[in-house]
Amino acid sequence: MTRVLIYLSLATLFLVLQITLFPSLLAGHFKPELLLILVVYLSLHESFAIGSGFAYGLGLLQDVFAGSDLGLYGLAFLATFMAGRSLAARVNTESTLLLLLMVAAGSVLQGVVLVFALGILTDSGIAWLVVLRQLPQQLLINLVAATAVLTLTLRLQRRFAPRVNLPGLQHLGPRRER
Amino acid sequence: MLELFRKYRTTLLVGCLILVALLVYSANLRQRASTTLFERTLLQLLAPVQRLADSTWSGIGEIWGRYIWLVDTAEKNVRLERENRRLQAEFDGVREVRLSNDRLQTLLGFRLTLGQAALPAQVIGEDASSWARTVIINKGADDGVAEGLPVVVPEGVVGRVIRVSSRQSRVLLVTDASSALAVLVQRNRTRGVCRGRGDDLTFDFALRQEDIAVGDQIVTSGTGGVFPKGLAVGVVTQLTREEFGLFQSIVVSPSVDFSRLEEVLVLLPEQP
Repeated sequence: MTRVLIYLSLATLFLVLQITLFPSLLAGHFKPELLLILVVYLSLHESFAIGSGFAYGLGLLQDVFAGSDLGLYGLAFLATFMAGRSLAARVNTESTLLLLLMVAAGSVLQGVVLVFALGILTDSGIAWLVVLRQLPQQLLINLVAATAVLTLTLRLQRRFAPRVNLPGLQHLGPRRER
Repeated sequence: MLELFRKYRTTLLVGCLILVALLVYSANLRQRASTTLFERTLLQLLAPVQRLADSTWSGIGEIWGRYIWLVDTAEKNVRLERENRRLQAEFDGVREVRLSNDRLQTLLGFRLTLGQAALPAQVIGEDASSWARTVIINKGADDGVAEGLPVVVPEGVVGRVIRVSSRQSRVLLVTDASSALAVLVQRNRTRGVCRGRGDDLTFDFALRQEDIAVGDQIVTSGTGGVFPKGLAVGVVTQLTREEFGLFQSIVVSPSVDFSRLEEVLVLLPEQP
């Protein structure tokens, strides 16, 4: 229950940052997709039932504030979660580097799903082309954001809750003195 | 005679000196406009001394003024800096109010020229994704906003409302790739459709033989059923006529700067 509340709070915070703070701070239209980072984290550390429900829910949440079709990001986030989940059993999910790699892969996969959905399933003009053109920059900005979020989370955890173990976040940032 | 001279020596000497002085003075009165050799020499000789004395006194005065006399300068400085910051903040606030007032005046003037009921709204958020172009405004169904209503600013067309909640609405900007609006070239009334491309728009369905040039103003045609006729959409910035093909490729730069969007007008439907 606590985990669910934490995820919900994080999702709300990330969304508010995406629609209010980042547009005024960052030049152009590029903004990091913090919810995608959360979905990738869920895919590596949550069960299928809870994770998939959350991923789809987060996608719908993003849909309410992005684009014009409800369900588009739901589909993209669910696909990203499932791809990540299928890999989770085969890799070391405790590695933070893996999390960053997964964010990169997730950004690409999400882009592919968006291009497919916008280009084939809906009549959204050249929206698919806009997504495709922006994919490299989006990938880069997502990676930078993921590194920043992970570093910040780890620092906060070490400062305020040193006994709490956050799965997958133990190998990034300054190591504790023994 | 010598006795007499001896007796009045002092008086005579004083008289002679005064006479000489008077003569010198009288002689100098004739050359007032020019500097004499004597004056020049003295000025030249005394100049370094004068400079030295001046700098010495200035230095002493400065030391006295800065380090000895102004005992409470640091406190005064802190006080003044604080006051300066307060006044600066006040000034910034006043400037912001003035700018906001200017914008609202323009919006009000534009609203009066529209001849249609319009609801002013503020942009309070942007799209959560990087590729879609939508903004969130602070007026919703409670204020009379409904899906499909056009949103404009004095500079031109902004977009149309696509989602409405009770107190907020989301507006699809004309630059969004899924947006399309019926337009015409203001100069020669050539009709077409403007579609969003993310940052600019394309003017579609303009036949090859149509006389369209860079710099032409594009306005709404009023035939799409959403926007009233004659609102500015943008300016033609790029134009390509291929050797083959029915249509020209035209790029239109929007007349509205969407990165600086703050206040907008939602055009309300006319009451029967």
